[in-house]
Amino acid sequence: MSTTVAFILAAAALAGLAVAPLFLNAYGIGLLVGMTGYVVLASAWAMFSGPTRYVSLATVAFFGIGAYTVAVLSETLPYPLVLLCACAIGLTVALIVGLSTLRLAGIYFVIFTFGLAELIRQLVTWYEVNVTGTLGRYIFLPFEGIHIYWQLLALAAVTLLLSWWISRSRLGLALRAVGDDEVVAAHAGINVSRAKLMLFALSATIITLVGAIQAPRWVYVEPAIVFNPTISFLTLIMALLGGATRLWGPALGAVPLFLLFEWLSANFPNYFSIILGIFFICIVFFLPQGVLAKIEGLRRPAGKVPPEDKERSGAA
Amino acid sequence: MSSHLQITHLRKRFGGLVAVKDVSFDVADGEVVGLLGPNGSGKTTVLNMISGALLPTAGEITLRGVRISRLRPDRIARHGVARTFQLVRPLPSLTVAENVLVSLAFGRFKHWGPDARDLAEEKLAFVGLGGRGGENVANLTYIDQKRMELARALASEPALLLLDEWLAGLTPSELQIGIDLVRRLQGAGMSVLLVEHIMDAVRALCARCVVMNAGEIIAHGPTETVLKDPGVVAAYLGDGHA
Repeated sequence: MSTTVAFILAAAALAGLAVAPLFLNAYGIGLLVGMTGYVVLASAWAMFSGPTRYVSLATVAFFGIGAYTVAVLSETLPYPLVLLCACAIGLTVALIVGLSTLRLAGIYFVIFTFGLAELIRQLVTWYEVNVTGTLGRYIFLPFEGIHIYWQLLALAAVTLLLSWWISRSRLGLALRAVGDDEVVAAHAGINVSRAKLMLFALSATIITLVGAIQAPRWVYVEPAIVFNPTISFLTLIMALLGGATRLWGPALGAVPLFLLFEWLSANFPNYFSIILGIFFICIVFFLPQGVLAKIEGLRRPAGKVPPEDKERSGAA
Repeated sequence: MSSHLQITHLRKRFGGLVAVKDVSFDVADGEVVGLLGPNGSGKTTVLNMISGALLPTAGEITLRGVRISRLRPDRIARHGVARTFQLVRPLPSLTVAENVLVSLAFGRFKHWGPDARDLAEEKLAFVGLGGRGGENVANLTYIDQKRMELARALASEPALLLLDEWLAGLTPSELQIGIDLVRRLQGAGMSVLLVEHIMDAVRALCARCVVMNAGEIIAHGPTETVLKDPGVVAAYLGDGHA
């Protein structure tokens, strides 16, 4: 019952968002594009990293792969095929990376994914300089902001629907178990590596698509633009702010933070990185579980701990 | 009686240390066998090799004639081996019922949906946690967490249950509840391998025991005989008491 209502509300919101750009100027549409892009990035990031708690900084690696695929192929292949190629390349890289690294835990995984993004950027730069002899590329696709926005909005809807479906599936339960304790999860019969790999690949493919869809907006791309590590960090902060283990958490974090960073980079371009860093620290310190969990915590009556707990803590 | 779990010439080496030297024993269908020995004698290492947490250096483990040694823990779990852990390991971000649901969904019979919810409630009721499925695991007392872990192990409907000091750390009255629970499993025909230090529990539950010391089996047989064995007494209390 409540699911039906939620679906109707979500569909109505989607319809409203779809017609919104018809009433906006170019700047407004630009904001919508950026915002929706980050909603998808943060939601896709949280799809894997939320339940498993594997903090990935590889977001921009896949984002950049998507953008570069479009830059390279947009003149030789029809657009839908270009998107398909981007998906295939993102998926392949994710599977190779996942198979070789998902055994790494904690900080090692974080550092590896950060390094991966840097490695791919350097590889692309090296290839462009030494093989094709040119660093930047132009993308001439007949898309306006509104077309890109509609594509991203559709992708956002699909991503949220997938997240919702996974969270109710056996796979979702498996991932939460893996995030809590991989040993226990394996002993309960869960194929831990396969569960992690599936979600990592799915999340990476969606992120690749975001890069591919947004690429035509830049017209000119080069590695420093599309492999900018700030994209990975922003995605991470947005998902954490909203709450990475909740369906709407990443989206709720992405919208205000995108607008805030947009305003900051327009008004304080020189201090942008510093403010970003301070924000990061504050969120990790004060809202480690995200805003949604905090609100729920406030609504629950405080200090309700069963009396047995105190008795037990000494004896255990 | 057919041999249910069969362990032959099991060996585990960690670098230069041989933790388990040459261990062979079996557990028959529906039997509760005690695995005893002082700390560091290799009991948990043997258990970890049966459940797949550790790979044996040599030797074989078969369950109902199927070789399970060298399989991944999730494969072994689906073959019908379930375990509890020496220190309780609840999954804290899941509710009590969801903890049990994990084993139902991925264990031998892959239950999912409303049917699985009912089964989870049934398993929780069996261990004495009926009606508490919606609670947060962190709010459970120590014995209730142990109960929950037993329910989680039972939810995969195992052919063999491995209990690693499941009764340790309980108060005397809780211990009695724990012993009664295991006895009910015994009554239901479950095969259990019980690693335990509490001799009262071992006497109450196991007809047969295997005693290890320094990675080797030093005694094997009916519980009362084994516990009086001078070698076993010496291993537990030191040579002066033998």
